[in-house]
Amino acid sequence: MNAGGMAASDYQLLDRYATGDESAFEELVTRHQKTVYDLAYRMLGNHADAADLAQKTFVQAFLHHRSFKRESSFRTWLYQICLNQCRNALRDRARLAHEDVDELALAAPQDTFAEAAKSELRDRLGQAIRTLPARQREALVLRVYHNHAFADIGVIMSCSEGTAKANYHHAVDKLRRVLMAGEG
Amino acid sequence: MTCNEIKELTVPYLELDLEPPRVRDVTTHLNGCAGCRAEMEAVRQVLVRVKGMAVPDPGDRFWTEFPEKVRRGLARERPTGRSVGNATWMPRWPLALAASLLLVVGAWSLKGLLDRGLVPPGQSVTQGTITADLPSLGDADWEAYWEDDPDTVLVEMATQLDRQTMDRLLADI
Repeated sequence: MNAGGMAASDYQLLDRYATGDESAFEELVTRHQKTVYDLAYRMLGNHADAADLAQKTFVQAFLHHRSFKRESSFRTWLYQICLNQCRNALRDRARLAHEDVDELALAAPQDTFAEAAKSELRDRLGQAIRTLPARQREALVLRVYHNHAFADIGVIMSCSEGTAKANYHHAVDKLRRVLMAGEG
Repeated sequence: MTCNEIKELTVPYLELDLEPPRVRDVTTHLNGCAGCRAEMEAVRQVLVRVKGMAVPDPGDRFWTEFPEKVRRGLARERPTGRSVGNATWMPRWPLALAASLLLVVGAWSLKGLLDRGLVPPGQSVTQGTITADLPSLGDADWEAYWEDDPDTVLVEMATQLDRQTMDRLLADI
């Protein structure tokens, strides 16, 4: 808060951080930490990876804050950094497991086709989300959980609004098939 | 509208992302098509269930400590030298010092050889076979030659130093 009681904008806080104001650093992190963690968790599916990736996201943002051109909001920039880190993490994970993330979609839910209990369905849905291709998952998470307009999702994902919509629709369609298969 | 067209519009319809005339068209079709109604309901269920999946809160302590973790991560990542682009700038003085030491030690070794008489008597360093490859330069040429081959120039200069000067240099080092 500044003297007038108005919360400083992210840009103002970044300016203050650039001059060595540590309280601005603290405020920026506190302001956005839950959003970044939520996005990382929904992309990676567990606390340890999400916490690590959220930390990396802020570290990268502050390391390179001078290259932030301010053509978007600071939050959008954080989203972009976070998703880039998520893509790298998912790629590494897939490489380690000798699995192709894109080929995994729907594989696990079909294995448990016979199970129809609600909790299992929820697990299946969660698993299906985690095995969506990264771009589809990004569009789904940004739309459903972070309530972004498709135009914003396009900016965050560095693609057109139409591509963002298509990724989202494909994601929902795959999840619908999972759900229908589970309810057989 | 056909059922295939409706299928394409299911998500935008539920997302309220359609123009009013298209919404009316889709609604009219749904009223008369049980199959598309079921499909629409399935997609709606997906969105409801997906939206209902919460992320477990890691707790107040995690959030309180998080900025400090970021600060520590930042301190680890920040290079000790200056950063130029993606490359990390390293100070050059350690390299310069190491190169100078090597040159002085080299010169000292050379002088030791000379003192032990490996150079035939009567041939000085600057006149004999050892310096055959070294150019005999006037003061005006030193600077130009320094640009081309500073190492050789340093060796040349070192070999011209007397024992007393060498001892003082080594003591300083």
